[in-house]
Amino acid sequence: MTRSHILFLNLTGIALFLCLWEIAGRAMGPSLLAAPTVVVPEYIRLLMAGDMLRELAGSLRQMLVGFGLACIIGMPLGALMGRIRTIDLLVHPWVSMIVVTSAAALAPIFILMFGTGFEFRVAIVFVSSFGYVTLTAYHGARGIDPKMLDVGNAFSTGPVETYSKIILPALFPYLITGARLGLIHAIRAMVMAEMFVLVGYGGLIFQTGQDLSTAPLISYLVTLMAVSVGANMALGWAGRQIAPWYDSKMAAG
Amino acid sequence: MSQSSEAAAMSSSADLARIRMRDIFASSWLPYLASICAGLMLWQLISTQLPGVIFASPVAVADHLVGAFASGDLPARFANSLRHMILGLGLALLVAVPLGMLMGRSETAFHMCNPVLTALFAIPSVAFVPFLIIWFGVFFEARVALVFVMCVFDILITVTAGARNIEPRVIQAARSFGANRRTTFFSVLLPASYPFLMTALRIGTIRAVNGMITAELFFAAVNLGEYMEDASSVFDSAAMLSVVFCLSLFGLLAQELVKWAEARLLPWHVRS
Repeated sequence: MTRSHILFLNLTGIALFLCLWEIAGRAMGPSLLAAPTVVVPEYIRLLMAGDMLRELAGSLRQMLVGFGLACIIGMPLGALMGRIRTIDLLVHPWVSMIVVTSAAALAPIFILMFGTGFEFRVAIVFVSSFGYVTLTAYHGARGIDPKMLDVGNAFSTGPVETYSKIILPALFPYLITGARLGLIHAIRAMVMAEMFVLVGYGGLIFQTGQDLSTAPLISYLVTLMAVSVGANMALGWAGRQIAPWYDSKMAAG
Repeated sequence: MSQSSEAAAMSSSADLARIRMRDIFASSWLPYLASICAGLMLWQLISTQLPGVIFASPVAVADHLVGAFASGDLPARFANSLRHMILGLGLALLVAVPLGMLMGRSETAFHMCNPVLTALFAIPSVAFVPFLIIWFGVFFEARVALVFVMCVFDILITVTAGARNIEPRVIQAARSFGANRRTTFFSVLLPASYPFLMTALRIGTIRAVNGMITAELFFAAVNLGEYMEDASSVFDSAAMLSVVFCLSLFGLLAQELVKWAEARLLPWHVRS
């Protein structure tokens, strides 16, 4: 299939979706589902008012703290788990447990521990993205081709060179993929935590749910979607820039 | 003579003991046990540093669990919660599996649906909660809907990716042996799909457990959600941690169950 053919199908799909949405929106009325023609003017109004973007920026800053912590701790831990069996055996069950633990169930406990402020949101974001970052790094470190390490040995590289020239480049695509996965979960957790305590962008979403029209609610969701897709694409782009072998390793994206 | 035979017997029994020790270490449960013990000790250590109101010790949680299970309160609530989880998961599978197969096998369908689905997937599922309240209220229907929303996209993406990656060679082989469309579907495509359908089931189950408790906390608090809210209003961290612990354990067990079923049902699909 050629590029233009694919693009045509993409656009047809989007147009079809918008048409269906418009018909459903007209049939149900804006209090149940605002049609795209109602949402667009409302979206521009909210964009001009500036509240939406200000809240979003504040929420994202807090999210990035939690996500950054998860990367700083999770990536080395995952790499160590992949290379050293004892650490893997000791840590793996608990990391799997963190992955399956629902962030929403932890929210009431974290409120007791940290209050409802900055620390609470950072902790929730950390817990929900940590497992994914760690496990992806773990799979990367485990999957390092032993032949490459043998080549290093044959050329008698020292431990520092082995690490910086073989292990790190082989691990890199997985670290980026882990960051992309973790970021999706971090954004999910950020919204969930903020909806729980009614602050920030999540609080905004929850409170506009009680309005008469669903147009502002949809506008907030669209912005959130744009941020999520944008951040994911930016990480993928950064991965390709820093490590051109990224795509060949990560064919599935 | 007797001495040497004794020595030989001793050395062989030492060998035997060593081999047995190695077997035990190689089997999966002992490191598992060590890991769990180490984790529990760490938890105990942290909890002694903090006030019990904030963070209960494992002993307190175990104590609470025994009481809650003996009275039958927690199991009854858990069983009630499972109702909307299973219904939501079932509906999600019914919708996502056929759609995912269609998107995976037809290039046209894939390129038409992919942008919209990627966009919808990017929106955190909890953000749909206000919508679900408007459409379904705050009771059983809303909970089922949230579980559905939380797992449907994950299942869809897994099934689509799996169906797209079915080895073209096996289909070509079937065709060169003169298989018609029906035979190709039932004896080639379908068996080739079982592995990723199992993966989708596993991922969907974990998401559904997550959705089950999220729904009970965000809509009207019932069952386990009510249990947690009651506990949080009297600062009973042991009760809250008990619920989280049970949920995590349940999620892990469900995941292991699907993996076990996969190994039993699909012996040709060996995973490392």
